[in-house]
Amino acid sequence: MNGSWLPLLRAEVDRLRWRRAVLLLVLGAVVVTAFTFTVTAWDTRPVSDEEVAEVRQTTYVVSEIDQCTAHPRRYLGPRARGLDADEAARTCEELVLGWYSGRPTLDVASELGNGFIACTVFVVLLLLLMGATFAGHDWSTGSMSNQLLYETRRTRVWLAKALVVGVAGLVVSAVLLGALWGGLLLLASSRDLPVPDAVVADGWAQVARTAVAAALATLLGFALAMLFRSTVATIAVLFALAVSTGGLVAAAGLFSESSRWDPVTNIAALVEGSASYYVDEGLDRECYTSYGEVRGRLPGCDPERTVGAVQGGLYTGLGVVVVGAASVLVHRRRDV
Amino acid sequence: MTTTAPATGAPVIETHGLRKVYRGRKGTHVAVADLDLLVPAGGVHGFLGPNGSGKTTTIRMLLGLARPTSGSMRLFGEEVPARLPAVIGRVGAVVESPKFSPNLTGRQNLRLLSRSIGVPDERVERAVATVGLTGREKDRYKGYSLGMKQRLAIAATLLKDPALLILDEPTNGLDPAGIREVRDTITGLGEQGVTVLLSSHILAEVQQVCSSATIVGRGRLLASGRVEDLLGAVTRHRVTLTPGTHEAGTHEAGTHEAARSAAGVLTSAGLPCEVQDDGSLLVTAEDPTIVTRTLGEAGTWLASLAPVKRDLEDLFLEVTAGQGPGMDMPPDWSGAEQGGAAR
Repeated sequence: MNGSWLPLLRAEVDRLRWRRAVLLLVLGAVVVTAFTFTVTAWDTRPVSDEEVAEVRQTTYVVSEIDQCTAHPRRYLGPRARGLDADEAARTCEELVLGWYSGRPTLDVASELGNGFIACTVFVVLLLLLMGATFAGHDWSTGSMSNQLLYETRRTRVWLAKALVVGVAGLVVSAVLLGALWGGLLLLASSRDLPVPDAVVADGWAQVARTAVAAALATLLGFALAMLFRSTVATIAVLFALAVSTGGLVAAAGLFSESSRWDPVTNIAALVEGSASYYVDEGLDRECYTSYGEVRGRLPGCDPERTVGAVQGGLYTGLGVVVVGAASVLVHRRRDV
Repeated sequence: MTTTAPATGAPVIETHGLRKVYRGRKGTHVAVADLDLLVPAGGVHGFLGPNGSGKTTTIRMLLGLARPTSGSMRLFGEEVPARLPAVIGRVGAVVESPKFSPNLTGRQNLRLLSRSIGVPDERVERAVATVGLTGREKDRYKGYSLGMKQRLAIAATLLKDPALLILDEPTNGLDPAGIREVRDTITGLGEQGVTVLLSSHILAEVQQVCSSATIVGRGRLLASGRVEDLLGAVTRHRVTLTPGTHEAGTHEAGTHEAARSAAGVLTSAGLPCEVQDDGSLLVTAEDPTIVTRTLGEAGTWLASLAPVKRDLEDLFLEVTAGQGPGMDMPPDWSGAEQGGAAR
């Protein structure tokens, strides 16, 4: 047959875009992203003049603003430094009105750890399902055996499908989460809220890392479905793993550092840039009180550990590679 | 085992000592047992056998869908599965029931296959027209009748412009007109020089289109060769007795008693025979004069003696006697030929 990969890749792209379940999952990811943006924008919308006027008439609000203006450091903390009286009064008013109007001001930096992460979890799960259903459908309909009558090189078939669905996962997540982050920045800009350059860069870096995580999740779903020849079985296995992994890791003898090898810790590190975990065993004897509590403030006794993005990425990537290798080997040898 | 000289031409399919053993919790099952298969180039070759006889497993191994336990296979002289990528472009195949994505249209399903091998989309339209699906190719596959699904599967095989066509029960679910169309298509392809391996249960149909045939049972080769040679290998004769001529019988005693008496005479003379429902005898003998002489010497006169021409069904039942489906299969192997456990 044709030695080029191009026709096969082209066919797999068509197969992916013609699959209704895939389109529905991508649509679901779009809806989740749009919903996250909409909710964030609505919850942080500026207080209208009418609302402000209404709140401002309330006696205790007026009293609170006066207190803040009189003692700005008590209310504003370090932010009060360098503010003149007018600026302090304006800031106090915004702060107190913000409290009593029941709406926080948009803070894109904190959104990275809240709404953005929630959206990321949903998008990554949907893309994992996309990878699984892309392969599972071929097995459930039996069309895989038909495909192998046209391209008999099974490794090539596996890789072509993996490449297409993996790139699709990367692109979809990058576009959606990039749009979410870009949208939040635009929203902040439209509300004249300054965003430090470092926060902007952090956000884009998180988008990039999340896209990598989403692509790995898509590949994991695909590889497992090729291994088990069923979308349902893949979901069941993933669910079982999610429930039991912590216990399995601990039972494997990795006691004091078991969280270090917990997939959740490592995936969080990959997405967020770093993730903390705590050890409660294996510290020096002097780190423990007579009641067995950790004296965390003593030198060398801090129980908090950090996993970096690279470590988390390597862990996650290696896991996907191991599952992928098993999937390819089984696919090469198994009767279809 | 009956084996006659194959048709001339270099073999397109060859297997030697091909064996497939399925291992499961309830033991092992030999689906194909040391099968030597030879399909010459050109013409239509029937591949016959009872359910569970290893036909589909053999086809799946030839196409790389299943791994043989031992033995060797060649397609167009190339060792498979090692060299399968080099020859698969010349092989079109329908294995078991058609398998396509149900939510895609017939045309989309064909395009996925044609694009995967770099075949232009125009060939899809041609294949659709060839199998008579024009006008329905934009419908979703799940809305197709079984016959239309079969046609689509045959259309898929034509995308490659194959030199070898392997068809596993291609007329399943087709109406009589559809069966005739497929039969004509197969015959036409055979006449054009395409070698067709046709696995089917409809023996009359196989006999109409096949120039050669192989019969397998329990994974073993039972008979193989040109159809005319296979059918001519054993001759049988239908004998009708003249009433009242047998010494031990009278007209009143009835034809059946006379026939049974004559059957005893023939059997004693070493000529196997069966009494038929109509009172005639079916005698197996190479030379019909032996029958007339044996009965004449016993004082029995024949009203008629006519050679019985066997058809493929007779031959099939003869050579596959006791080779019924799943005769010694453990229960969990009933689906082995269908590709293993249901998903």
